Amino acid sequence: MPTAAMDEYLESIYKLAEKGAVRPGQLAEIMGVSGPTVTATLKRLESSGLIDRPDGGVALTLAGRQAALDIVRRHRLAERFLVDVLKLPWAEVHDEACQLEHALSPRVQQALEAFMDNPAVCPHGHPIPSADGVVAPQGGGPLCECAIGDAVEVLRIDDEDGALLAYLATLGLFPGTPVRVCDVAPFKGPLLVEVGDARYALGRDIARKIVVAGEAGGSPGRSGGRS
Amino acid sequence: MSSHCDACRDGSIERPPGEIVIALVGNPNVGKSTLFNALTGIGVFTAHYPGTTREVFVGTSRVGDRSVGVIDLPGTYALGGTGEDAWVTRRALEDLQPDVVVVVLDPTTLARNLYLALEALDLGMRVVLAVNLIDEAAREGVSVDVAALGVTLDVHAVSTIATSGVGVADLAQAAFAAVREPTPRLRTYGRDLEALLHPLVVAWQGNGAPDEHTARARALAMIGGSESAFGLANDTVRAEARRVQTAINSHFAEEPATHLARERHGSAGMLADAVTTRTEHVRRLLPRDLWSLTTKPVTGVPLVALAIAAVFAFLFFVGDFLATGFSAIWAAVMSPAIGTLVTAVAGDGVVSRVLLWGFDAGIEASLAIGLPYILTFYFLLGLLEDTGYLNSLAFLTDRLMHRLGLHGRAIVPLVAAAGCNVPALVAAGQLPTKRERFIASTLVLFVPCSARTAVILGAVGHYIGLEAALIVLGIVFLVWGVLALVLQRILPGSSEGLVMEMFGFRRPSVRRVAAKAWEQFREFLLVAMPIVIAGSLVLGGLYETGWLSYLSGPLRPFIESWLGLPAVAGLTLVVGMLRKELSLQLLVALSAATAGFAAADLTGIMSEADLIVYVLVNALALPCISSVAVFWRRHGVWRTISVVGASIAIALLVGGILARVLPLVGIA
Repeated sequence: MPTAAMDEYLESIYKLAEKGAVRPGQLAEIMGVSGPTVTATLKRLESSGLIDRPDGGVALTLAGRQAALDIVRRHRLAERFLVDVLKLPWAEVHDEACQLEHALSPRVQQALEAFMDNPAVCPHGHPIPSADGVVAPQGGGPLCECAIGDAVEVLRIDDEDGALLAYLATLGLFPGTPVRVCDVAPFKGPLLVEVGDARYALGRDIARKIVVAGEAGGSPGRSGGRS
Repeated sequence: MSSHCDACRDGSIERPPGEIVIALVGNPNVGKSTLFNALTGIGVFTAHYPGTTREVFVGTSRVGDRSVGVIDLPGTYALGGTGEDAWVTRRALEDLQPDVVVVVLDPTTLARNLYLALEALDLGMRVVLAVNLIDEAAREGVSVDVAALGVTLDVHAVSTIATSGVGVADLAQAAFAAVREPTPRLRTYGRDLEALLHPLVVAWQGNGAPDEHTARARALAMIGGSESAFGLANDTVRAEARRVQTAINSHFAEEPATHLARERHGSAGMLADAVTTRTEHVRRLLPRDLWSLTTKPVTGVPLVALAIAAVFAFLFFVGDFLATGFSAIWAAVMSPAIGTLVTAVAGDGVVSRVLLWGFDAGIEASLAIGLPYILTFYFLLGLLEDTGYLNSLAFLTDRLMHRLGLHGRAIVPLVAAAGCNVPALVAAGQLPTKRERFIASTLVLFVPCSARTAVILGAVGHYIGLEAALIVLGIVFLVWGVLALVLQRILPGSSEGLVMEMFGFRRPSVRRVAAKAWEQFREFLLVAMPIVIAGSLVLGGLYETGWLSYLSGPLRPFIESWLGLPAVAGLTLVVGMLRKELSLQLLVALSAATAGFAAADLTGIMSEADLIVYVLVNALALPCISSVAVFWRRHGVWRTISVVGASIAIALLVGGILARVLPLVGIA
């Protein structure tokens, strides 16, 4: 059985993996521990069959992923409970949820879920995995793959230095903003999108960094989701 | 290169005189410049900060017996942004310290526009709102309760129609009123953000901020990522700022600056909804719907082709027609007058003939480009820009231009260059980045203009045949394509991603377009005419004294040995710098004189292959003096020398290869 510390590791690895490949150094930074400590814990996780170490990186095994999803589910349910029911402020719920999550048996989880009317996402907007480990697809796809007429919502902006995010934010284009694709220029040219009352032409290279998901037909969010 | 036009002053932008000074800020295309023109009369100056292209206009307005200094800042979406527009606006506001900041708003996109107003208010500025374009908004069924907007934000708000001057006087009165009043009351954001922000406001109050307004303004500026606010802070405040940023980051799970932008957009959106009324039942087609045809590929692409053809035809045929007409009038009226004057002053000899080169041919050459090409072309281009069509054009052609390391907008100068390089260079100077401006300007110099095309058609087309002329043009464009690819490779950096607002159709202001065209024309004359006159005097001196033939010596290895042309042809290529079509005229005249042919038949001294090589070198080497002057003004002496040098090298290379290949394919 994984210990609470191993739970925390699995959770962190899962969250990092949502963004890309995971390195031990990132874990040390997030967990606030030294490199050797991380290495030791990773060895234990590996011998428990919960992770693989491909090329020195860290990847969850199927069992590890199941375990991680279980913890993430408990954590996010706990956060939801703390905010929605107990009315605690957002800023404090993460740490509280870390304490609470270990106390939630499958039965309590189910009861909580029913009590809160089956919430889909945590207070921060991340999806809550279902009891059998299914995550609603949140991966989304780049805006540049959208077709004319697609109505989508910005999930995130993949931008290393934050300058693009800051600039687009001044235009009112940030995660959560609904966007409609009006036109696409020929030869894979820029996209003409509608944001609120304004319309912008976005070059392919910009549109590639804007990750969106949507309801409309032809949107990339459905098929491109994580399995 | 330090000198720009006479009205431009680099670096130091001066606060205009006036009882009070107001600054106009607003999103691009909200009619800010029109409002500026409506406010100010004569005595308008433009200036820009070194290394930037965004101009700041400064003027003075008279309201009754009082005067108001007016500053028109570049259109921008934010004050705290990273782009050049935001930087220039922020810097000018800090430098010039206007008494009142007038935020000009477009009612049809009020939510996005109000973001800037909230930002200005957050920075503690004394704000007056001008809700402009209310006539066009009404046509789209949008009306704004301007009074309610003012009350909600605790500022003066005025509705204006800048194009017809409606509300302009009210605006000035509101500015005078605002100066006498205390700064607007503080607005607040969401409870969580305010709670997290509070420690930083307190930190500022204990460390240098004179009052709560200032403390809050600086705290918000720091959260928004403002470097100047960080610059004002001491270590205590900076440490607190970092703590608050971390807290905001973990609380909202996003960057503090992004979160602030989100809350600001949220406030702006709610405010806009509260004061905007939209009439749903509009029977007729909206201008916006019609205008969307310009961006739909099915209808837009043919329109682009049409627009490009129109620009090309305009410069190639209308411009040429006007230039010919102008030259005829000049020859009939001005030339005799100047001739009489020069003869009266300098007698009848070498000196007066040299003076005629400069003051007759030189002035004519610059006016013959300035009047038909620049003045008229700029009027056309200004109309396209004012209606918002250039953005639609840029949208559809962006992909194509991307291959050249440019943006969609660059297609206009490149096409215009086929008519005349000079206005094309001016248009290329308006592209957003330095790299793009240089690539586009260089490529413009290598597009054969109508004069160079005329030489190709007049020599090769006339003496050999149209097919041969087309092949020469083909080679020129092949060289052009290779150059474009090479430039794209060797210049560091890459073109930045395109983010461009698309506007609906706007009715162009003819007065403003005409004023802009006149400004370009005047600037061209001021910059280019002295250089063209000086160049003409030098060329004329060399020619009239016979010293030109001494140049034949040094030119001989290139012209005779390498290109296989008569030495005299080399001289005409040099003289062609004054006006490219002059080279052919001079070649005909000189060949008649040198070879003793009575008839001006070039085939007497040059073979078909020679002619082809000659027109090709003429088309590729040495751009005319006028375009060199404009290029120089924009890119400095070294880049000009490099590009002109490169043009000679490329022409010699291609010409030399052709001189050796043509005989092999049976042309001699």
